[in-house]
Amino acid sequence: MGKSFSKHIITLLLFGMASSPLWSQEPQAIIQPQQAQQSRAEDHASAQNQPLMPGESPRPTKYIAVEEQKEHLVFFQGFTLSADLFGPIAYLVSDYGTAEAALRLNLKNTFFPIVEMGVGKCKKEDFNTKVTYDVKAPYARVGFDLNMLKNKFQSNRLYLGARYGISNFKYDISGPAQTDPIWGGSESFNQEGIKCTSHWAELVFGVEVKIMKNFHMGWSVRYKTEIASTKSDYSKPHCIPGYGYTTNSTCWGGTYNLIFDLNWGMKRSHKRGVRITSGNIPAQNTPTKENKDIEEDKQESHDEGATGTGNEGADAESANDSGTAE
Amino acid sequence: MGVAGIVLLLASCYSNNCPLENTVLCNYSFYDAEGNAVNYGDTITVTTLMPGNKTEYVYRKLGNPVVIKYEKDAALVEQGYTETAREVRNDTILVNQLSKASSMKIPMSYFNKIDTLILSYKRITLKDTIKIEHSSYPHVEQPECGTYRFHTLENISATDAAIDHIEISNAQVNYEGNVNVKIYFNGSVED
Repeated sequence: MGKSFSKHIITLLLFGMASSPLWSQEPQAIIQPQQAQQSRAEDHASAQNQPLMPGESPRPTKYIAVEEQKEHLVFFQGFTLSADLFGPIAYLVSDYGTAEAALRLNLKNTFFPIVEMGVGKCKKEDFNTKVTYDVKAPYARVGFDLNMLKNKFQSNRLYLGARYGISNFKYDISGPAQTDPIWGGSESFNQEGIKCTSHWAELVFGVEVKIMKNFHMGWSVRYKTEIASTKSDYSKPHCIPGYGYTTNSTCWGGTYNLIFDLNWGMKRSHKRGVRITSGNIPAQNTPTKENKDIEEDKQESHDEGATGTGNEGADAESANDSGTAE
Repeated sequence: MGVAGIVLLLASCYSNNCPLENTVLCNYSFYDAEGNAVNYGDTITVTTLMPGNKTEYVYRKLGNPVVIKYEKDAALVEQGYTETAREVRNDTILVNQLSKASSMKIPMSYFNKIDTLILSYKRITLKDTIKIEHSSYPHVEQPECGTYRFHTLENISATDAAIDHIEISNAQVNYEGNVNVKIYFNGSVED
């Protein structure tokens, strides 16, 4: 377990998606048409080679189209709670960082409405100008992610998303005294509690990989653009909690998430349709309940056939019992 | 390691957009009396009065030379001199011999309520005085850019030696380079 866990972590960190289990399809109990055809051919050959019992007529061959087993995903797949590691680490190595958590709904493993909330902190003093900027305030984002992988059943996800962010905050800015170079005079510069409300939008690209049962890890890269900010005469906010630096009108950000699936109220996905084939294909594959039923029906029909009822009708009956629609 | 790499990558993209000019200047644009933009033909020198740092006392008596002292002299008053106290103000040149220009940029005081500009011309002996009332406030664009001083123009007036009239065009004086004051000189451009 420990080895497997560390392997996932290393794979996720170093190679991201390229070699992660994200691309490995989890085995699904689906028979591909080619496989079914090959299986039917083998059955037919083995049936032809069996010697007929006395009084037994050759069994007619009837093929029923193989219907791929389809698993039906229920609409609501539960909640996901995640925490960001990138924000706190960023604060350790730079002037700006965040502490952030997110709650996400899983709808059909495809659409993920999300709410992200956190606290952003920025404290910076410029080495040359000695101007300091200080802000600490909460922020919130709402938006959605879309799982772009074709196979929605697997636990790994590759997603694109969008966010709208807002932060209402107060910041302090101060600096050395201002001195008039011509007329003379000097005045200290210290502005505290400048109010500001900022709005921004984000485009999100992300990946998440299943590490353990309900535990995932993943990262996201975000392209952010500032929509509007309250303007002050004294300054514009150097750094917006949840957005980042305002040096340009756009900026990049990222998250590295620890993700926990909370399956509150989640209904298990159920199978729609049953894999039915002609002959004995199901019986030779996985011993599912349906296949056992089919096998029993076949056995009964075979017994009846021995008493002169006929095999063809028994095959059809067994197919009907198992709920197959031809 | 991967997270640290991303952090360094994002930090490496950081750049600043500090204004190229490190001084905020009030932008004056020249027009003729009819409002046509002109290159003013005369040479202009702009000086300003510095705030007074000491008081001088001027004593006048009919038939006697004017006496200026930096301390009060009660004896002169007893002799019949009238005493006038005034602030000693030096002047300094802000624009030196600007010729055939269509505009000029002049700094504003940080802490004075009124700036006084004196315009001297080469072709005429009279001078014009422009008085600008304004308020000033500090502004920081980005911490790495340092602090600036922005101004808001409140009122402006001028004498009429060469100036027909004067008006505020844009009251906000910052580093965006807008025309803040329009000076309309006497005369008009001939077609």
